[in-house]
Amino acid sequence: MKIDLSFTLNGSPINTSVAVDRRLVDLLRDELDLTGTKIGCEEGECGACTVLVDGQAVNSCLFPAPEVDGKHVITIEGLGESDNRLSELQQAFVDQGGIQCGFCSPGMILSARALLNENPNPSQDEIREALGGNLCRCTGYVQIVDSIQTAAARENSDD
Amino acid sequence: MTHYDYHRPETVEEVLGLKRVLPAATFIAGGTDLMVRIKNRVLNPPALISLRAVTELGGIEDGEHTRIGALTTIDELCRHPLIAERYPLLAQAARRLGSRQIRNVATLGGNLCNCSPCADTATPLLVYDAQVQLQGPDGSRQVTLAEFFVGPGQTCSSPEEILSQIILPPPPADARTLFMKKGRVKMDLAIASTSVVLVLDGELCQEARLAVGSVAPVALRLPLAESVLAGQKLSSELSAEVARVATTEIAPIGDIRASADYRRQIIEVYLRRSIDQLAGIVQ
Ligand SMILES: Cc1cc2nc3c(=O)[nH]c(=O)nc-3n(C[C@H](O)[C@H](O)[C@H](O)COP(=O)(O)OP(=O)(O)OC[C@H]3O[C@@H](n4cnc5c(N)ncnc54)[C@H](O)[C@@H]3O)c2cc1C
Ligand code: FES
Ligand code: FES
Repeated sequence: MKIDLSFTLNGSPINTSVAVDRRLVDLLRDELDLTGTKIGCEEGECGACTVLVDGQAVNSCLFPAPEVDGKHVITIEGLGESDNRLSELQQAFVDQGGIQCGFCSPGMILSARALLNENPNPSQDEIREALGGNLCRCTGYVQIVDSIQTAAARENSDD
Repeated sequence: MTHYDYHRPETVEEVLGLKRVLPAATFIAGGTDLMVRIKNRVLNPPALISLRAVTELGGIEDGEHTRIGALTTIDELCRHPLIAERYPLLAQAARRLGSRQIRNVATLGGNLCNCSPCADTATPLLVYDAQVQLQGPDGSRQVTLAEFFVGPGQTCSSPEEILSQIILPPPPADARTLFMKKGRVKMDLAIASTSVVLVLDGELCQEARLAVGSVAPVALRLPLAESVLAGQKLSSELSAEVARVATTEIAPIGDIRASADYRRQIIEVYLRRSIDQLAGIVQ
């Protein structure tokens, strides 16, 4: 059984059709070739598959694809600037060593994006709380927290 | 890979109609439990009936009784001013449930229907004397949460029924409350949890409500321990006695996350600490 879906993906309207038993992560990676969204545990523990749905961070491995109909979805591919430059948040991860192997980074960055959208100036504790659902095997998290604080400072000085 | 059909009805009537023609179908709310079970092949439903487009199952209504729609997300509970003000234990427990990604989609109804003894919202709702409304082909009925929880994974609702609302009577006036949860790390499922409500009159404990999670087949109130506390003058000896009595009312099991003895000890310590802290008793 297939279902027709209309939703906004990274700012552009999209119409597609997908088997109803696919998850959002399958739709993104297998049907739409957006492989920036990663698959780790597939049970909501690791956060590698995190994307934003209507501005809220969700685990796309637990999100049935039919539920995105009419929604706004943002993936890591939608964060960069239009001229292929990284966004300030992504650049801060590069500058502060918040990325090592990079597998957790798309999910980390989207959780961070959701946090900064609702709280432009988060404390260390608030950052750690917001990233509680994102695991990283490489960095030890310290550089990731630094990256987000750096991004917050840069974004705040822009406006 | 499991295959299933997926339905997105928009009214409760359509939900119940679909379930009548597809009796083997499973309801899905946030899916944070269900999608994991499907992936691990614990469940293999031929069809899912999604409750997410049913707007009448959402929302928090003020009134003499507060009515919380079953599809209200855990994150909404964390943020809603009415919940924080009237039912602070529920807000505190919601903030300790899973990660932000989970809270953004997990629903209150799903937390209860799962009927896990470690469901974080269970102990607050038990001490607030919550009722749940069930809606089925034969109409709707209301049961207490204590009646709703039958055993691990087992509620008193029939397969054709959905949980539509959680109904909270006004909380006791001037109550002092405390929620405590022990997990291995912060976002873990509870190894043990406690919700305590005390109404004090000077040094006297007028009313006590105690509930515990993860230490019996279902989350439960502790009537015996409550009766030891109610009407008595508070002291550290009394709270120690209450906590000791509480351990006789529970039946913890040992599993991968903690031993039965450890769980019993956590309950004793948490209840004693909660009562002492709320009563302002310095150890
Ligand atoms: C990584 C992770 C961490 C978690 N951490 C916690 C935690 O710390 N504490 C905790 O308590 N839980 C935790 N959970 C479990 C889960 O997220 C919660 O129990 C959640 O509230 C379930 O709600 P849901 O809407 O996602 O339920 P679903 O998965 O949609 O449904 C759960 C069950 O209830 C049934 N159901 C749902 N709604 C209704 C309804 N209205 N009427 C009838 N039946 C219904 C479904 O058919 C299904 O059997 C965690 C889960 C994951 C994956
Ligand atoms: S792959 Fe989704 S949380 Fe791990
Ligand atoms: S950078 Fe390797 S898992 Fe985080």
